[in-house]
Amino acid sequence: MALFGSFALLIALALAAYNLLAGALALRLLATGQQARISPERLADTARRAGIAGFAAITAAAFALVWSVFANDFSITYILEHSNRALPAAYKFAALWSGQEGSLVLWAWLLGAYGFVLRLTHKTDVKLYAYAGAILAGIQTFFLVVLNFAAPPFALLKGHIPADGNGLNPLLQYPEMVIHPPLLYLGYVGFSVPFAFALGALMMRYPGEKWIKITRMWTMVTWLFLTCGVFLGMHWAYAVLGWGGYWGWDPVENASLMPWLTGTAFLHSVMMQEKKGMMKGWNVWLIFSTFLLTMLGTMLTRGGLVSSVHAFAESPIGYWFMIFMVMVLATCIFTYILQRDHLKSEQRVESVVSRESSFLFNNLLLLAGCFVIVWGTLYPILSEYIENAKVTVDAVWYNRVAIPIGLFLLFLMGVGPLLPWRATSFRSIRRNFVLPVIALWVTVIVCLIAGVRPWHNGAFNTGYFYALVTFALAAGVLTAVGSEFLRGAMVISKQSGRNYFWSIYQLIRRNTRRYGGYIVHIGVVIVVIGLAGSAFNRSEEKELALHDKLTIGPYSLECMGFTEDSNANYTSDYALLDVRKGGKMLFQMAPEKRVYMASGQPQTMVAIHSIVAWDLYVVYEGTNPDTDQPIIKAFLNPLVSWIWAGVMVMVLGTLVALMPSQRQGVGNRE
Amino acid sequence: MTETQGLIAGGLLLIALLAYTFWPEKVSASQLEKTRLDYLIERKEQLNENLRDLNFEFKAGKYPEKEFQAQRAQLENETAMLMTEIEILQRA
Repeated sequence: MALFGSFALLIALALAAYNLLAGALALRLLATGQQARISPERLADTARRAGIAGFAAITAAAFALVWSVFANDFSITYILEHSNRALPAAYKFAALWSGQEGSLVLWAWLLGAYGFVLRLTHKTDVKLYAYAGAILAGIQTFFLVVLNFAAPPFALLKGHIPADGNGLNPLLQYPEMVIHPPLLYLGYVGFSVPFAFALGALMMRYPGEKWIKITRMWTMVTWLFLTCGVFLGMHWAYAVLGWGGYWGWDPVENASLMPWLTGTAFLHSVMMQEKKGMMKGWNVWLIFSTFLLTMLGTMLTRGGLVSSVHAFAESPIGYWFMIFMVMVLATCIFTYILQRDHLKSEQRVESVVSRESSFLFNNLLLLAGCFVIVWGTLYPILSEYIENAKVTVDAVWYNRVAIPIGLFLLFLMGVGPLLPWRATSFRSIRRNFVLPVIALWVTVIVCLIAGVRPWHNGAFNTGYFYALVTFALAAGVLTAVGSEFLRGAMVISKQSGRNYFWSIYQLIRRNTRRYGGYIVHIGVVIVVIGLAGSAFNRSEEKELALHDKLTIGPYSLECMGFTEDSNANYTSDYALLDVRKGGKMLFQMAPEKRVYMASGQPQTMVAIHSIVAWDLYVVYEGTNPDTDQPIIKAFLNPLVSWIWAGVMVMVLGTLVALMPSQRQGVGNRE
Repeated sequence: MTETQGLIAGGLLLIALLAYTFWPEKVSASQLEKTRLDYLIERKEQLNENLRDLNFEFKAGKYPEKEFQAQRAQLENETAMLMTEIEILQRA
């Protein structure tokens, strides 16, 4: 299978290179009107077909790799290093993306899959799709060059072949890890498509903004995948790493957040281009940056430049990515300089207090957030290069800068929808902002009464202050978004005579993009409320003998036993804890510590009991070698479940926004 | 899978994919340029959508009458200019 896989990868490379060269030549012939032995249309068609055929070749290579994992073919170095015979089937499949080479195969396959769909639907706009297809082929060629020459997944082991493999990294042996990396990659790779369309549209001086409409679905689907990937990563870190948190500003986490921020900025500002013909140059650079950031993230984490708890696959391929990024950046700058007159805005921002300016500020804040993260992530590398000493940036630094930016963004999320396009008057502001401002101040008062007081015994608690501001702004934003739904529903209800529920449903159906977007905003607010809950986290640690108790918040945890267990894959130590509240038995928890046999590596299996108000999070820290008794650490983390619930609302909102609006209904609105 | 089987399978894959890529087609998709007229028609549709949104937001109570009239007049003006250019191009 190794030979077949290698051969398939080589075929894929040849086809991608042909797609790029023939596609570019055909477009050049069409642009200049030069005569050639073969018609440019025919040449472009063979290029497109080569792209489709290339996808089949990469699929064959990916299949060969998965087949080899299941066949326990330890003559292939990659399989030896990332699998073993006792590994459960689902995790054998996950071995495909657990290492450097496999990750790149998955990346190339996903890019091929996106390209396949794009090339099949080329009749939407043949010329634009031909440009985008050639650009995607360029990206694919890079990945296949790396796969064929720098990180070959089918490299064979020299010498004796061991009877069993080294096994999968224990941190990856968790159900979410079967879906988290593919989702994240779908997001990362997906941004290649809007990038290809934007660069292609600029190269061909595409008249108008229809390319944005064509790529809207691609961009939103990609954003959705990236969002799910980022949050699944958070949930995995929370449930597996056992430190009680979900976000540690780790370089890999940062790498996924950077393109998410610029992608989110693009999704907002592109509406300005579509509706008003504004911010054309800005948008082009936003999508260029987003694509480059996906590459930077890969280079940072997979190229071995930074160390991370999430970086399961590192190898010295960073230079390949660096060269590719420089080439992409040079192409973008060259095309931009050559075609910049094509990107002149048709209108200008007329007032600082308008919908347009709120989009602009939103973009600036998202970019500021992205810059902070890029700076913090690159700082250890830069400091090592300049001062010869690696200086790392801790979570406190990130929080100090990122939280105020996040709060300003939350503020704009409430203000933006209430501002009219072009300009507004004081009367308009007063009319639209009364309710959100009331909600904001009522929340401040309620929070202060409930004990969320930043000033306590003469000391200032920053965490409580941010939590108070977050809750207040969240109330304001939810009221603002809610009033948007209600006002719209009232108009429809008045016209149709139907009730408000039906009217809200109709309102969403008639403008899925806008109201789907508002649902996403509601989801973001719920997530932010959940994040603010971390200001009230607390923890307790104790060595527990049989029937010893550990108390945290309203709960009392009694140790009912501690024992060992084992299967073919791992051995585990775990404790059985009875959880009581006010003396009443509620449930039992069993935090666990595993040691995997193939790799000898340990892994924490956290026990989590989640309710709306908080999570009871219990970790088996280890065993005291003197007493042989377990050391248990318990956390009480308020509002964590709100984060996961908010993500689900964000997914729902994006799915609504992806649905086509009921156009005849839009006409009815007048 | 032995080395020989791997080579045969790879060879068959290569032949199949090359045949698909270079199979002679009678008709290739046309690479027509988008015209100014196409662009203007798209823009007109967008302006109509902006007008519909403006009307709806006014009915929802987001704009005072004066602001609404001013914005509507501007959008209608823009649409009228586009329509004139569309008519000229269509006549030509």
